[in-house]
Amino acid sequence: MLLARVEGSVVAVRKHPSLEGWRLIICQPINKTGEPESVPQIAIDPLGAGMHQKVIISSDGAAARKTVGDEFSPVRWMIIGIVDETESCESEQINR
Amino acid sequence: MRLGKVIGRVTLNLVVPNLVGGRWLIVSPFNRDFFQNGKESPEGLSKESTLVVYDNIGADVGQTIGFVEGREAAQPFLEPAPVDAFNAALVDCVFYEPLKIK
Repeated sequence: MLLARVEGSVVAVRKHPSLEGWRLIICQPINKTGEPESVPQIAIDPLGAGMHQKVIISSDGAAARKTVGDEFSPVRWMIIGIVDETESCESEQINR
Repeated sequence: MRLGKVIGRVTLNLVVPNLVGGRWLIVSPFNRDFFQNGKESPEGLSKESTLVVYDNIGADVGQTIGFVEGREAAQPFLEPAPVDAFNAALVDCVFYEPLKIK
């Protein structure tokens, strides 16, 4: 699971049938200070996350397949929670 | 899933039986500095290393696709297949607005 920020969305008409009806959200993994880390990932969004909101994304393919209800789906990343607040033991807080 | 621009195609002579009928695309994955916003894919190549993606929905050179990497790439196959990058979506439009951090 990664902490990520919602930075956009994707529209695709021709796609794997299992992705039909799912929002595809661009999630940028971030570190504890809110700076981007590594490449943006596209995740399905069962919760309805908003732009620039912090979320937790999971790479558990089995759970994502259960969510879309198709054992043959290639889906991997999924938004599993919307972050209210993060805390770290050092003085640098994530407030962005 | 990640997004990338199709920059070429591969034709195979011999192929593992489970993969017969598929097409193979050379894809340059997007990163934060090289990302599509809107309907047109960006000019040039990204700094990410290119990879070959299995395709059965028919993407063309110059198009943007969404491809899945890892174990999940082999999931759509009925028989086990040696695939680790699978084209899952032909992208029509991207709305991308990275948050600027001062």
